[in-house]
Amino acid sequence: MFIRPDNWNQMSPLERRKARLDAWQNAPVPFINPQAEANYKERIERLRKIYDMEPHDRPIADPFMGANEYIVRRKGINGKDMVYNHEKLREPLLEFHNEFQPDTSAMPLPYPGKVMDMLDYKSYIWGGQKLPDNLTIQAVEGEYMTGDEYKEFAADPTNFWMKKYLPRVMPTLAPLAMLTEFPRVSENVDIIDLMVPFGLPPFQAMLKTLMEAGDELMKMLAIVGQTGAMIAGAGFPGMGFNIVKTPFDYLGDTVRGTKGILTDMYRRPNDLLAACEAYVPVLINAVISASDRNGAPCALYVLHKGADGFMSQAQFEKFYWSTWKQVMLALYEEGITSYLFIEGSYNNRLENLAQMPEKSLVCHFDKTDMRRVKEVLSDKFIIAGNVPASLMTAGTVDEVRAYCADLVELFEGSSYIMTHGCYFENTTDEKLRAFIDSVKK
Amino acid sequence: MSKELIDAIVDMREEDAVKITAQLLDGGTDPLVVLDACREAMGVIGMRFETGESFISELILAGEILSQISAIVKPRIQKGGAEKKIGKVILGTVQGDIHDIAKDIVGFMLDVNGFEVTNLGVDVPPAKFVEAVKSSGAKIVGLSGFLTLAFDPMKDTVAAIKAAGLNEVKIMIGGGQIDENIRQYTGADAYGKDAMAAVALAKSWS
Repeated sequence: MFIRPDNWNQMSPLERRKARLDAWQNAPVPFINPQAEANYKERIERLRKIYDMEPHDRPIADPFMGANEYIVRRKGINGKDMVYNHEKLREPLLEFHNEFQPDTSAMPLPYPGKVMDMLDYKSYIWGGQKLPDNLTIQAVEGEYMTGDEYKEFAADPTNFWMKKYLPRVMPTLAPLAMLTEFPRVSENVDIIDLMVPFGLPPFQAMLKTLMEAGDELMKMLAIVGQTGAMIAGAGFPGMGFNIVKTPFDYLGDTVRGTKGILTDMYRRPNDLLAACEAYVPVLINAVISASDRNGAPCALYVLHKGADGFMSQAQFEKFYWSTWKQVMLALYEEGITSYLFIEGSYNNRLENLAQMPEKSLVCHFDKTDMRRVKEVLSDKFIIAGNVPASLMTAGTVDEVRAYCADLVELFEGSSYIMTHGCYFENTTDEKLRAFIDSVKK
Repeated sequence: MSKELIDAIVDMREEDAVKITAQLLDGGTDPLVVLDACREAMGVIGMRFETGESFISELILAGEILSQISAIVKPRIQKGGAEKKIGKVILGTVQGDIHDIAKDIVGFMLDVNGFEVTNLGVDVPPAKFVEAVKSSGAKIVGLSGFLTLAFDPMKDTVAAIKAAGLNEVKIMIGGGQIDENIRQYTGADAYGKDAMAAVALAKSWS
């Protein structure tokens, strides 16, 4: 949990950023021995200097954004295990960190399989459910909001989410549609409208299921949390993220689908823009609350539909960038650094990113031209990327080594984090070791 | 008037394109002339896509416009008047991957460029590709995969096609993380970075 200093209102954005990073860096960790503590402090200090864009001895290599499943798959863990059997992941994860000594901690994302089953979650399929056991999870694109519902969404995104979107993707939550609009509860008689659903059998059945699902979630979080603490305690700091999306990607990935939102730019541009605008304050509040709750100093954007090729530069600036920039600037004001995981290529968007204030971004690239990145962005922001997933899967150890060495050389003197361009399932220990050790020479 | 239809499609004026189509047909224009105009418009959009002046959003909307036009035009085409196809392509997203948008854009672009496309859908096992090639006699297969988990199923599918003795079949692969490394890994004949590359490959093999 992040507790704001008393003089928060007088602090500049960079002072607030420093306060959040200080709290993250100094959070208590249950170290297993003094050596682990010394290693952790050395690692997090190096990462902190990179985040602060201060001189440091070498770049770091972060295996999380690419190899976070391979590191358990190499020991026979499959996709179903990652969704349902979280305790099975602990030993392989501790073994990986001990053996490879990475600069940061890595683990698979914590998918709560039993909870997803209980909610009858429709917008994903996963291993052990509708996917074979070897696969982990995939999104099911759909039109979970019709084009005609934009205005309803823009009028009150939270209400739409609770009463329309959630029941559609989690049918267990269908009774939420029975709730009154909360802000209308003002006079004593409104208590009746507020409480009626809680007295009705379908709503009560939903609450019972939710409580049972909550119990399951707590069990899973206890296991995952303990594993995370053991990895940190063995000397490996985490990067400190909360995951978020841009307004356009929320609407596109989550409610309208790719086809829906890309054609909406032509068919109902004003509705789409109004919905993106309506989502801005919701997102800002959500990220600040999450950062305050768990102390993560960065908001990790998984970026999809603004990439080169999806839309023109004019469309990007009108539909994608304008509201996303508002979110990032508001988070910057609150001292939260935006970590951009830029899937695909962003060669045409670098000048947009360059408009942001210094140190406000960590820019993690996949297929973007890293030489242009160096030229346009590396003086202002922390840079990460872009060892290809294809190279990790199908290349040789020497090729991985050479690719990483080029990146280290290119970003000499910059604040640089060696990462993969994209997640992958298969590689070899030798290639992963070449990646992790590439920054240590 | 055909020029107006081409311009409407190229400029993404959906309603105008549908309206002009109806006017052309009501005025006695041969339905095949309308389809030729659509093809010409898609040629322009495809060229612009290759040079970075057109985008996935436009390919998708153009697909929707052409689908509406096709629904109006096709019932009016005389039997035997249909265009001659230049080749058959079997297309699908490989086993384990359920993404279809890029694959469908490729299918649509192959179709408007004169290929008979059999779209097998998503999560397609290797045996289904083999069966479709055998039953159709297609000489080209396109394997799509959005996620990195598609690398191995692509490799398995290429191996299954070769194991079935279909050595004359050319196989192309495509998807967000596909490159020359993955082409070699899977044993495919070629990879395409986008739908226009798929069309160029298919034409070169026909």
